[in-house]
Amino acid sequence: MNATATPTLEVRGLSKRFPPRSGQAEAPWILADLSFAVAQNELLTMVGPSGAGKTTLLNIICQVDAATGGEVQFEGQTMRLGNGTLNPGWDCRFGYVTQDDNLLPWRTLIDNVTFPLRVQGKLNDQTMARVTELMKTVNLVGFERYYPHELSGGMRKRASLIRTLAYDPPIILMDEPFGAVDAQTRTQLQQDLLRLWNLGRKTIIFVTHDIGEAIALGDRVLVLSRSPAKVVAEHRINIKRPRDLSNVYKLEGFGDMYETVRKELL
Amino acid sequence: MTALAKTLPGRRSHARVWIPVGRIVLAIAFFALWEFGSYTMGREWLPTPEATAARIWKLATSGQLARDTLVTFSEATLGMIIGASLGSALPFVLRLSPRLMKALEPFLSAAFGVPKLALAPLFILWLGIGMPTKVVFVASIVFFLMFYNGMAGVLSVDPRLVAMARVAGAKEWIISREIVWNTTMPFLFSGLKIGLPRALSGAVVGEFIAADAGLGWYINNSRSLNDITGVMAGVVVVTILVILVNAALQRTQARKLAWRPVARDMVV
Amino acid sequence: MKLQLTVDRVLILVLCIAAWQFCSMQWGLHWFSSPLKTTNRTIELLGNGDLLYHTAYTAKAALYGFLVGGIPGLLLPFALRRSPVVNAILDPYLAAGYGVPKLALAPLFVLWFGIDLEPKVALVASLVSFLVFFSTMAGVQAVNGQYVNMARVAGASERDIARHIVWPGAIPYAFAGFRIAAPYSIGGAVVGELISSNRGLGYMIQAGATDFDTTTVFVSLFTLTIIVVIINWLVANLERWLLRWRPRTGAGASWVPGA
Repeated sequence: MNATATPTLEVRGLSKRFPPRSGQAEAPWILADLSFAVAQNELLTMVGPSGAGKTTLLNIICQVDAATGGEVQFEGQTMRLGNGTLNPGWDCRFGYVTQDDNLLPWRTLIDNVTFPLRVQGKLNDQTMARVTELMKTVNLVGFERYYPHELSGGMRKRASLIRTLAYDPPIILMDEPFGAVDAQTRTQLQQDLLRLWNLGRKTIIFVTHDIGEAIALGDRVLVLSRSPAKVVAEHRINIKRPRDLSNVYKLEGFGDMYETVRKELL
Repeated sequence: MTALAKTLPGRRSHARVWIPVGRIVLAIAFFALWEFGSYTMGREWLPTPEATAARIWKLATSGQLARDTLVTFSEATLGMIIGASLGSALPFVLRLSPRLMKALEPFLSAAFGVPKLALAPLFILWLGIGMPTKVVFVASIVFFLMFYNGMAGVLSVDPRLVAMARVAGAKEWIISREIVWNTTMPFLFSGLKIGLPRALSGAVVGEFIAADAGLGWYINNSRSLNDITGVMAGVVVVTILVILVNAALQRTQARKLAWRPVARDMVV
Repeated sequence: MKLQLTVDRVLILVLCIAAWQFCSMQWGLHWFSSPLKTTNRTIELLGNGDLLYHTAYTAKAALYGFLVGGIPGLLLPFALRRSPVVNAILDPYLAAGYGVPKLALAPLFVLWFGIDLEPKVALVASLVSFLVFFSTMAGVQAVNGQYVNMARVAGASERDIARHIVWPGAIPYAFAGFRIAAPYSIGGAVVGELISSNRGLGYMIQAGATDFDTTTVFVSLFTLTIIVVIINWLVANLERWLLRWRPRTGAGASWVPGA
């Protein structure tokens, strides 16, 4: 990480455990003293085994859940978690693309995509033009009036993605967003993501359990341990952008990096 | 042909012909049995179909049928409006305090089980035998029905959608209007569909206990006069009315719920 | 956590009683009786056996009606399953029968069967039979075709399939019907008694109201509520025991009201 640039987001000593179940003396720690930092406009990927607490981590960073200890600092504002009320989304400065697309089933595609803009009172000609542009980029034009149950899984994912991008938050969290689709759709979606990220650079934290995906997409990869999760390793990815995702796996160095990370995950 | 008939496999041509035939045969058998029963057990015990029809005709032409039906319908409608508004609104309010909801649970559960008609004599004591008693009675029936359905809807709200909306910047009021309302609406519709026929039968039964007009009053009055034909006529009219209302409601349901993957009836 | 819940509930109970006492003092014992009077009367009626006598009468009517109506309602779907044609023929009539408000038939039953136990049993039976029938029918129709195929391939006879696959599969649905039918059977018995009877909790309510004896009315109402709560509790526990094998479904699936 560039020592002179101040990170845009910093996580310090984050820890989390849920209240114990009846019969349990103490609940296990999900996150334990987790720390890392993200630079502005960086695409940071995090890799960890399933069940390591990745979703919990993102929930906490986004203020959807509260931490048991530690703090998160974003653009100079510190959130000391564990006490006080939550502010999900940090007043719309965070975007969150969840694992489930979470589209409102009773709204059409276009209504879903413009939902955050409408709710924030920011829907106007300018933002609408941006939405149309995004729809074009991910090939959803023509499906505006469709209901979610009439769309394929991949289309719903795309919609969920551009819904967040539409209101242009400075930092976006992504929780295994492409996990639940087939391999071809996934590659397509990864390509779409990179293309969109190129259009307007923003800070992205992308969490996945797929090592290849983490290396192919990220500027930097963080490796998380099993529960209780903490950062065990960090690697800078030196593959030049723009990256061709169909060929990136063949590039020199990819294989070695993959092996390294794989061993670190064991 | 009902949807059920269409699902029958194989032997298609035979089965499909037999079904309407079978139904007609059944209908004829029903009336034949009725007629037969009337002859063997005596007209004072079971009036013939013709006698029943004749009485209904007499009531219709004299205007009494219209009068009584109007009374019963008004009681049902008024009670329905009051009961449904309160019953539907309360879950949205209760939702804001999970602590209160949990605490009230056993009390509401108990209140549900009490047959509302058992409260009728109390209502009569308080309100007399006029229209208000029946309206309150019907309202109590509909209230519990809509409240139960409303609660089921409110409890089924997907917390992930709520979290998503919060991150997107939606305030509590918008979450209620957008997510809670839309999730609960199918449940409320289902409740209304069941509610109207129940409101009608509730009004009728309420009139058994306390009234001086209405279809239920007519039925019970006939009973006290040992006028079996009157009782039968009244029961037939009420039955036809309820069946008609049911059928009418069945048709209006589909439109507003086009966004649902399967227009399945919520069996609540 | 649990302590807070219990405290909350006790608080609500106390509030209700206080509100009752207030109404009583404000508008007179005549209209509202009072918590004290009602408690005293309950003890009195328990002591002289009246309360138990009438409660037993109502409970008997409800139970007989439940059995007379519930058993055919439970078994018929399995029989109809064998013959889809007969099922289709009967279908609209059964649906129409379900639509008939059974309580409205109460005066008819009274005229036919008198004022003793029989009309109440008939009324309850007519209520319960349709409820249980349609619930069980839904269960029978929802049977997983793949299980049936698997069983056929494994050599099971129709009898085996009915017993080992259809029956266990339909039981949860049947129980949903029972859960609703149980309080309804008490309700049906009470309705029958309100219209014409000289025994039972419904009779007590009616007689009390006619005599302007609000206290007796309240005593009967509370007894009724307790009976219903007990029945609901019994049915719920029976269901839980019989359906031990079912995985729990999430969301807020803990509402067991009888509507």
